[in-house]
Amino acid sequence: MKNKNISFWLFILPALFALTVVVFYPFFYGFYYTFTDWNGLTATTFLGLENYVNVFQDERFLDSIEFTIKFAVVSIILVNLLGLGLAVLVTQKMKINNGLRTIFFMPNLIGGLILGFIWQFIFKSGFDAVGQMFGIEFLQGWLATSETGFWGLVILNVWQYAGYIMIIYISYLQSVPQELLEAAEIDGASIFQRFWRIKFPLVAPAFTVSLFLTLSNAFKLYDQNLALTNGGPYGSTEMLAMEIYKTAFSRYEMAYAQSKAVIFFILVAAVAISQVYVNKKREVDM
Amino acid sequence: MKKKMMLWVVGMLTFLLVLAGCASDAVNEGSSGNDTNDSGGSSEEDTALTNVDIFQFKVEFKDQFEELVQLYMEENDDVNLSVQTVGGGNDYAASLKAQMASGNEPVIFNIGGPTELEEYRDYLTDLSDTEAASLALDGTLNGVEEDGAVYGLPFAQEGYGLIYNKNIFDEVGIDPATLTTFEAMEDAFKTIDEQKEALGLEAVVALPASELWVMGNHLANNYIAPEFNNDILTAYEADSISFEYGDQMKRMLDLQNDYSVQPVLSLDYSMQVEQLFSTGKVAVIQQGNWIYPTVEQMDSDFATNGIGMMPMPFEGEYEDHLPVGVPQYWVVNQNASEEEIQAAKDFLDWMYTSDQGKDFVLDEFKFIPAYDGYDASRISDPLSQDVYKYSVAGKTLGWTFMATPVGWNEDILATEFQKYLAGDVTFEEALDVAKQSWESSRQ
Repeated sequence: MKNKNISFWLFILPALFALTVVVFYPFFYGFYYTFTDWNGLTATTFLGLENYVNVFQDERFLDSIEFTIKFAVVSIILVNLLGLGLAVLVTQKMKINNGLRTIFFMPNLIGGLILGFIWQFIFKSGFDAVGQMFGIEFLQGWLATSETGFWGLVILNVWQYAGYIMIIYISYLQSVPQELLEAAEIDGASIFQRFWRIKFPLVAPAFTVSLFLTLSNAFKLYDQNLALTNGGPYGSTEMLAMEIYKTAFSRYEMAYAQSKAVIFFILVAAVAISQVYVNKKREVDM
Repeated sequence: MKKKMMLWVVGMLTFLLVLAGCASDAVNEGSSGNDTNDSGGSSEEDTALTNVDIFQFKVEFKDQFEELVQLYMEENDDVNLSVQTVGGGNDYAASLKAQMASGNEPVIFNIGGPTELEEYRDYLTDLSDTEAASLALDGTLNGVEEDGAVYGLPFAQEGYGLIYNKNIFDEVGIDPATLTTFEAMEDAFKTIDEQKEALGLEAVVALPASELWVMGNHLANNYIAPEFNNDILTAYEADSISFEYGDQMKRMLDLQNDYSVQPVLSLDYSMQVEQLFSTGKVAVIQQGNWIYPTVEQMDSDFATNGIGMMPMPFEGEYEDHLPVGVPQYWVVNQNASEEEIQAAKDFLDWMYTSDQGKDFVLDEFKFIPAYDGYDASRISDPLSQDVYKYSVAGKTLGWTFMATPVGWNEDILATEFQKYLAGDVTFEEALDVAKQSWESSRQ
């Protein structure tokens, strides 16, 4: 027993060491910097909680929190709806299933920056050309206002992640026991009843995974944001990660940015943990 | 019990590791200067080579610069120069900072002006004993000179203004040289606008309002520099800004917006320069001499014969002045060894004052030289020639955006301009926000 313990700890030591050096140590060091006026090179004075007080009076930061939450809510709903929809579609008995799966998953293989630029072209030039051809004003001037910027980001994100989330739903849908479905069919359940009463509850664990993935992804989104709108117009589509980056690397307020990042970390951690907790509880009930 | 003990031991070990990490870090910080000295010294004994690391930002001339470095090394075989290029404004500053923090400090690097001079003061060597410093043109050392010490050597000069399509101005019969006042400019735009279908234009101007620097740095500077008597250092030391020429700033912004391709807020640099100006769909754009290579790639005949630059209108003492400035300076790291510093100085001198170096600066880099002793007629493109003309005549405005509070021009002023263009705020409100932000950062 004793030997087993020692070897256990010995085996874990290298990983623990690596983690300490590259994760824990920088994390706590960064945390320490938030109490100083660190500018990236030197820290001269100890400020206490001043940075944190300022963060909560920083309108730009608060705006970006609001924008990020708005974006997260809308895109989580849409990504999951579309992902589930696609999963149901490609698990029907069709010949082109595999082809469709590949196509739906494809956007996920393209890097965020490239996607951002592709969609920027679509929104700015593609939409504009179609709009001019058919005289649809709605399609013109996309990304020039904060509303179109917001929806542009949502569309991009949904398009990219729906395929990925679809894969998760597919695996759960396929593990639904055939005999249940057959029994229901014999009992005269319609296709909708079979979906809502049998498949949907059995797929519930997938929601935990999918919601967690889409949630943390929506909060941490950066490269698509950078490539598509770069926060414009007038910083109104600036998400949290980008706001923090800009504070650090274009205004050079490193310590201040670090304290924003700590708040960002707490926010993401809190949301993600409570979401997993709630979902886990619900799974058991079903 | 045993398990608990083990937990404690591991816990303590981890803690020790963290402490060790801190401690070794602290030691490193203290002696990093010596460390590099030592290694520099010993490698020199082995190979008789002085290693000079260059960390530079100008991606556009990377290949030509490396060629020049190669040439220099062939002539001076006791020096080994290695060049690292990291592109574009913000990225360069961030990676330079990371490089410094990691202790892997370059010997030669770039800074932008007084703001960065302040930030990197502890790293900078006085370069006033170099030949290049003594030959630098008047005003080009403005932002990096302090109490007789010169901390940076200018890369080159750059200038911006309104770049126009000569063919279109010929067709409507307007001489750009006469457009020095707002009235004249407005009339000209109106004339062109009335004939835009016949001229094949989409609009008169393309204002890329999604590019914060075009409005916040360049447009605004034309009306901010005069307020600070055209002096970068005055701007750098100013506690407040009053926007003395704010109404002219508004007039210029409105003029460009009114005659621009819409919507301006999603128009960007590449649409402005490549899609619209180079293809002759707009007649005038507000840009600088750096667009020449792009236009040349699109249409080389148009680039050589069809474009010119004129200043933005200004009413007052600085009428018909072109904003000309030094985008970046070369600086030498004080923490390097003496041999390295000397080698760095020699190289910079050679680049800007030797005949071979001068040829490169003019023909390969296509710079507008910031130093005396160059043959001005060899400047290759029409935009640079226009800039040099204004520079020689002394009709230039300083680039005050090199000396404003960090991030102020783009993050505050230009962002407010965008709100103004979107109709969310009035111009006065936009300026008020910018004034307050200036004051609070200069407290």
